Amino acid sequence: MTNLSIRWGGLLVVTIVLVVLTYNHYQDNITSLVPQQVRKEAPTGEIRVLGMVQGRTLKTREAGEATFTLLGKSATLPVHYQGPPPDNLRELKILILIGTWNASTQVFEARDIGIVPNYGFIAGAYLLGLLPLALFLFAMTRRVNFLYEEIKASKLYEEK
Amino acid sequence: MGTKKVGMIVSILLVGGALAYLALGNFGENVVYFFTPSEVKAFSPDYYQKKVRVGGMVVEGSMNTYPDRLGLTFQLTDGEATIPVAFEGIPPDLFKEGQGAVVEGYWTGQHRFESNMIMAKHSEDYMPIELKRAGVELPRKDFMKSLVE
Amino acid sequence: MTIHRVIRKVQRFQGWFGGGAALCLGAGLYLGLIGSPPDYYQGEVVRIMYIHVPLAHTSLLGYTVLALGSLWYLWKRDPIVDNMCQAVAALSAVFTALALGTGMIWGKPTWDTWWTWDARLTSFTVLLLILIGYIMLRTFVDDHEKEARYGAILAIIGFVDLPIIHFSVEWWRTLHQPQSISMRGVSISSGLLAPLLCMSIGMSLLFSYMVMVRTQLLYLDRLLHAKKGRLLSQFHLSKSDS
Repeated sequence: MTNLSIRWGGLLVVTIVLVVLTYNHYQDNITSLVPQQVRKEAPTGEIRVLGMVQGRTLKTREAGEATFTLLGKSATLPVHYQGPPPDNLRELKILILIGTWNASTQVFEARDIGIVPNYGFIAGAYLLGLLPLALFLFAMTRRVNFLYEEIKASKLYEEK
Repeated sequence: MGTKKVGMIVSILLVGGALAYLALGNFGENVVYFFTPSEVKAFSPDYYQKKVRVGGMVVEGSMNTYPDRLGLTFQLTDGEATIPVAFEGIPPDLFKEGQGAVVEGYWTGQHRFESNMIMAKHSEDYMPIELKRAGVELPRKDFMKSLVE
Repeated sequence: MTIHRVIRKVQRFQGWFGGGAALCLGAGLYLGLIGSPPDYYQGEVVRIMYIHVPLAHTSLLGYTVLALGSLWYLWKRDPIVDNMCQAVAALSAVFTALALGTGMIWGKPTWDTWWTWDARLTSFTVLLLILIGYIMLRTFVDDHEKEARYGAILAIIGFVDLPIIHFSVEWWRTLHQPQSISMRGVSISSGLLAPLLCMSIGMSLLFSYMVMVRTQLLYLDRLLHAKKGRLLSQFHLSKSDS
């Protein structure tokens, strides 16, 4: 029994460490602002903004340069994008923009565009995939140990 | 012992039913999971206003949005025929021109497909963006060809 | 006590399977969640593939083992093989259910739907129903030999679903994408293939390990049952003697 607890306890500790490390790895990608926050707080420095590209506002000048309006719940942001050819930029799409807010011109200068990373779905899938297996295996291992004890107690292997 | 007998019959029915479904039941209908634009164009009036699914490739440069409401129009093609689609709502993240999509809705008979559900179909090739930008193409089933067959 | 010795032998291997599974899954998780790039089209959400595909292929592998074991049982009537079949069925059912669940979670952000009745999803659901039917059938038959035989026949009949699942995406129009590793070649670039292979090998090892534990469990369960029955009858006999 103690052997079992040690092994599974070890596994639990390793899992927790891994979860914390993974979370830290992605933490920078998880936080983002919405257009109304950018309008209100006018943050300086590089930020990530989440919103939807409004219909009929996307104008591409050349590959790698575009202007459009980013739609939030209660505010919009005019965006000027300059960077590598954006594969994901199109109208009615929810995107994450990485760049700086220019308070004097009231334009968001984006240098990169990414799709919403959906970490919730990823975490959900991994939990659903691995947790039941771990619990099932744990329950089975415990039962096997218990059965061994029982059989030993009932002196099954006694030579006649 | 009555319940055991019943249970046995139920479990055999479960498997038998599942297999029968595969062999002759509804499965045959679901195998035609979606129609192609060519088939939609050839629809008899019986199919007008009937909820159907149509799959095809979104034609490059055919997507149009509205400034004031959430919805879009685009063309769906299988290489031989092309149909116009009007969609209400927010399209899925992976919906893109030049990619496969399955739309659910009604063929109006006035040669327009009205839909409120788009499912984005993604292909079976996976690679990082750097490779894609470098022009790497991995082997994959030709979606358009599989539609015309 | 020959069977006992076999189990002891299996137990000796068991550790290797368990350890191997832990190593491969650990490496696969690291590569899949941190060490691999996002996909050009799906972005980060492609990482769900590294858990979904191994679960799905392991459940298919599991069912193949179940069908082969059932054939073996009908031929040799070896009870330990039947024990293994019963263990494999329970675990395949769990893996199949989890493959469906993770698939639903992958479907929502990519296709924009949790579920749709296309040929792949339908035939995979049928596999789950067959496994549940198999497990149910075994609990409802009283005679152990009959239980094993009926189960084996059912498992062999159900095997027709496997080629249907595999080829559904090639034969018919589906929303589900075709096979990535097929006669056409490998459609996954090396950076994304490494975590998939690691997880796949790890899942297969984990499945084998869990089958060993469960086979042992079922065997011990029956042993204890038989022993208790014998003790009881001895007790009654001694009572009636005096």
